[in-house]
Amino acid sequence: MRPPEPPEALVGGPTQLPVAAPATVRRQVRALLARHRRPFAALVAFNSVAAVAALVGPQVLGRVVQQVSDGTATVAGVDRLALWFAVALVVQTVFTRSARMRAAVLGEWILADLREDFVTRSVSLPLGVVERAGTGDLVTRATTDVDRLAWAVRQAVPEMAVAAVTAVFVGGALVLTSPVLALAWLVAVPPILLSSRWYFRRAPQAYAAELTAYSQVNSALAETVDGGRTVEAYRLGEQRIPLTDRRIRRWISWERYTMSLRTVWFPSVEAAYVLPIATVLALGGALYARGTVTLTEVTAAVLYTQMLVEPVDLLLMWFDELQTGQAALARLLGVHEVPAPEVDEGAEPTSRAIRARDVRFAYREGRDVLHGVDLDVEPGSRVAVVGPSGAGKSTLGRLLAGIHGPRTGSVSMGDVALSTLPAETVRRHVALVTQEHHVFVGTLRDNLLLARPGADDVELATALQAVDADGWVAALEHGLDTRVGAGALRLTPGQAQQVALARLVLADPHTLVLDEATSLLDPRAARHLERSLAAVLAGRTVVAVAHRLHTAHDADVVAVVEGGRVTEYGSHDELVSAGGAYAALWRSWRDDGDNGQDGDDRAVNDGGTADVEPETQ
Amino acid sequence: MARLTCVGIDWATAMISLRTLPTPAPGSPDLRTAGRLLWWLARQQAGILTLGVLWGIVWMGAQAAVPYALGAGIDAVTAEQPRAAAGWALAVLALGVGQAVAGILRHRMAVTNWIAAASRVQQLVARHAVALGADLTAQVATGEVVAVSSNDVERIGGAFDVSARFAGAVVSFLAVTAVLLNASPELGLVVVVGIPVTALAVGPLVRPLERRESDQRARFGEATELAADTVAGLRVLRGIGGEELFLDRFRAVSDEVRRASVRTARVRSLLDALQVALPGAFVVTVTWLGARLALAGEITPGELVAFYGYTAFLVLPLRTITEAAHKWTRARVAARHVLDLLTVQRTLDDRTTGADELPDGDLADAATGFVAPAGRLTALVCADTDEASRLVARLGRYVPGAVTLGGVPLDAVTTAAVRRTVVVQDKDPVLFAGTVADSLAVPGSGRVPASAALTAADADEIVEGLADGLATELPERARSLSGGQRQRLALARSLVVDPPVLVLDEPTSAVDAHTEARIGERLAQLRAGRTTVLVTTSPLLLERADVVALLDDGRVVASGTHRGLLRSQPRYRATVVREEDS
Repeated sequence: MRPPEPPEALVGGPTQLPVAAPATVRRQVRALLARHRRPFAALVAFNSVAAVAALVGPQVLGRVVQQVSDGTATVAGVDRLALWFAVALVVQTVFTRSARMRAAVLGEWILADLREDFVTRSVSLPLGVVERAGTGDLVTRATTDVDRLAWAVRQAVPEMAVAAVTAVFVGGALVLTSPVLALAWLVAVPPILLSSRWYFRRAPQAYAAELTAYSQVNSALAETVDGGRTVEAYRLGEQRIPLTDRRIRRWISWERYTMSLRTVWFPSVEAAYVLPIATVLALGGALYARGTVTLTEVTAAVLYTQMLVEPVDLLLMWFDELQTGQAALARLLGVHEVPAPEVDEGAEPTSRAIRARDVRFAYREGRDVLHGVDLDVEPGSRVAVVGPSGAGKSTLGRLLAGIHGPRTGSVSMGDVALSTLPAETVRRHVALVTQEHHVFVGTLRDNLLLARPGADDVELATALQAVDADGWVAALEHGLDTRVGAGALRLTPGQAQQVALARLVLADPHTLVLDEATSLLDPRAARHLERSLAAVLAGRTVVAVAHRLHTAHDADVVAVVEGGRVTEYGSHDELVSAGGAYAALWRSWRDDGDNGQDGDDRAVNDGGTADVEPETQ
Repeated sequence: MARLTCVGIDWATAMISLRTLPTPAPGSPDLRTAGRLLWWLARQQAGILTLGVLWGIVWMGAQAAVPYALGAGIDAVTAEQPRAAAGWALAVLALGVGQAVAGILRHRMAVTNWIAAASRVQQLVARHAVALGADLTAQVATGEVVAVSSNDVERIGGAFDVSARFAGAVVSFLAVTAVLLNASPELGLVVVVGIPVTALAVGPLVRPLERRESDQRARFGEATELAADTVAGLRVLRGIGGEELFLDRFRAVSDEVRRASVRTARVRSLLDALQVALPGAFVVTVTWLGARLALAGEITPGELVAFYGYTAFLVLPLRTITEAAHKWTRARVAARHVLDLLTVQRTLDDRTTGADELPDGDLADAATGFVAPAGRLTALVCADTDEASRLVARLGRYVPGAVTLGGVPLDAVTTAAVRRTVVVQDKDPVLFAGTVADSLAVPGSGRVPASAALTAADADEIVEGLADGLATELPERARSLSGGQRQRLALARSLVVDPPVLVLDEPTSAVDAHTEARIGERLAQLRAGRTTVLVTTSPLLLERADVVALLDDGRVVASGTHRGLLRSQPRYRATVVREEDS
């Protein structure tokens, strides 16, 4: 059967974070085992003892058969043999327990090492790398890959280790019992090897596709439910049901394919297992008749041959899982391979002024987003960056905040290029707050303290007040100790933005880049917040990227960015009187609203509405 | 195929093949109880279930017979009859091959049963989700539905998967017991009594193990969540600081995971050891007793070997029986979840009877006094965005209300007619995964081509910027696009529908002023002559509206043109012009 059409690729951002090469993974695994050498050696030793103890049974049985058929058996002798069997069982039990326990303890240490190493590495990634690759890939690694690795370390590795040790000892016992009869296994090797190789060449990709296809069945349904109102409004039900059925069909076609792979592999391997058993029996019969082997040897060899099936089978079955674990490990170790940025650890900016000179920048090679931007941000000034979406406003903001370095040209603070400063230095001077707000799982206090560890409640309260958040925080039953984030109290997007801004107030850098930082609040609240924030930020440099024009109106300087260039630059009044694109936009936005500025708020608050006369057309 | 009906089951249809799945119509399930739902599912696939059971019996039977052949072979060896020994070796080989063949056939049936049950439930859930539409989102969290469609579906599938092995286990257990009792009542009794006892002996450990495992899972989940949360918020951490704080937290949680896992391992390793010791003790006992019997000449040495093999084998059916009990319990719980979901009723007052058409005319809401004149672009301004959204929901009859179109109450016609005539784009329109072209392929009048809609929504430059243009794949909710880009695509989609009445709730709230100005102009042109309601506070859109209505405190308090209202209504000015007051 040919593999079916692949499932639609899962669409996401391009994965730009590296995956560790196989050689690196092997090196790391060796290093890990070397670090835990002693417990690992002890583990192998305990497993070996348990495996050896398990070999006693067939020997006992073989002797009983021999003695009974020889007529040399006595009741006392049989009892003694049974006692040996029982003692061996006790040893096997005790050592199995201990080996399993040691395997778990060791495995958990290794897992803890790996996941802590991953998170430690992740939080020191350069911000530019995180911005470009997105956090989705990292989140997948932190969840799915850690999970898969844990599964492999907890299940596959111990099972395979035990199986390997057992196979070695049973095989050894078989050879010691009767080297001739042990040769019978040779007949099983070709079918097992050939069919397994055939299978493992196809299986991993097929199962990956099957899983993807299966998860797409669920994602189609999740979307239908999530967008239930959209489905109904646009009468999309007639499309969604066939879509689900199509996805189910695609998934099942992969299930059929993997089933066809197993239909070849399973019976081949299983039939191959009985070949040596039958061979030992037939061969043993012939050799015993000639007196070449003893009855003990034949019986024990038959039983050992049968015993060897299980570990060999386990090794084959877990092989897949181990590969999955290895792939997960490669992705976790991949964060090691992100090149460290070339930074000058000791450097400090020489002034507060930020200067951008002939800045060009591209996210993808050959596609510049900024085409030679010059911009001076004077200390203490308020600069508004306006322009159509996609014009490069946010990119310019990120460059001014030192998150990306320009492709050519320079962005410097004083004489020092921002991109040569380590992130820890940059953020003492300049911070960026975007539309994207993240509320960490934890208490509200945790969410604020990260900006200024050790801040007391008074400082936190002041920061919250500065962003108009003191009201709703005070109304929470547990105040600052309220648990927020996923699984706890969900803050509204507006509240999350307030928290982000409060962090900024606490971090207190002298320059702030605000990229649509209040866009998720309703217009009136946003205006109020900006006003109270301005009071706290007096004397700070503020670069505000905005799509609403009132922000521009309030700024000292307005930079209009269009098509990756600064097309207009000057104060609001200068630009309005210059009569360019900004002026036109401003006029249509404000219309003739310049009259009667007073009394806006009074009109909103005075409450009496009944007497307003509707205008009729 | 001829219809072959027996005990109320159409056996021809119940003989499902993966080739024919998913079934074109999943049918109407018995939703009285969880047990009945499972029973109904079983009846739909009775054919393959029966076939699976048959192969299961053959498969396990062949396994059970191997010790017999081995024992007889050893006897032949003992008797120095190499030909007979070779004969029994062939028998072992035949049994092995038979077991392999029956095994794969059983496996194929088990997988088919699993998939048949799982996919049918998925189809049922998908159809019910569509039927509930806007209502489902309000009543059930998306996560719950996804949990049903993944976890619960898998558990129900699992119950059907284990059935064939269960049947084989029961039959082979009984057969082996009979053989043992026949050969030696004494040994037989030891087996019959001993095996269940050893199975029960581990019982007391199971509960503490499950408790520790669930504690371990919970802690692992916590650590995963913390790690995911930390990297998801990495921009904040790297931009503001606090990495050490989070690392310390993570290390503490990670260490707790380790401890909890070791606690689990303590019990699990004990259980593993017992699973060696108990069946082992049993094998030792049988071997010992058997050896004495062999010594006394009551059984042959070969029979002793066979007994040894039987006792080792019996562990397997016993484990299967325990597994089946476990899986069926879980399937029942899962079926209850499915049942809960499938019995969610629509709360919207749906009409399937009555007139199936709405006339042209003014759209009017009695509660607020809002009127959108036919064929005009009406803007609705409201300082309280929730209040506006409530009105929008009434206009689309997503909630009951006294709304008329051309004088006909929306309540008096079928829901289908309302959906065809009045299309509401709410504040959070969802774009589905698929190509851009797919997302624009919605049922509509056919008069507005996608290209025209894209231009009107000023979205053509978005499409141009995408790697494959209209054929670019977008992820769920089009997350790869910015908020403003998503809004413009969603607007284009609404324009393609080109309904007689289009209600847009803040369609450009995330769009910059330049673009918004363009959209205002083009939207008015494209919708000329059609009734459009636009909820907005943006002056750039308001100046394009034919009529502007100001909603305040539940009533329309003023209406007129944008310029007129700016002059005459201070309240209006306050809402639409966000200016600093000094």
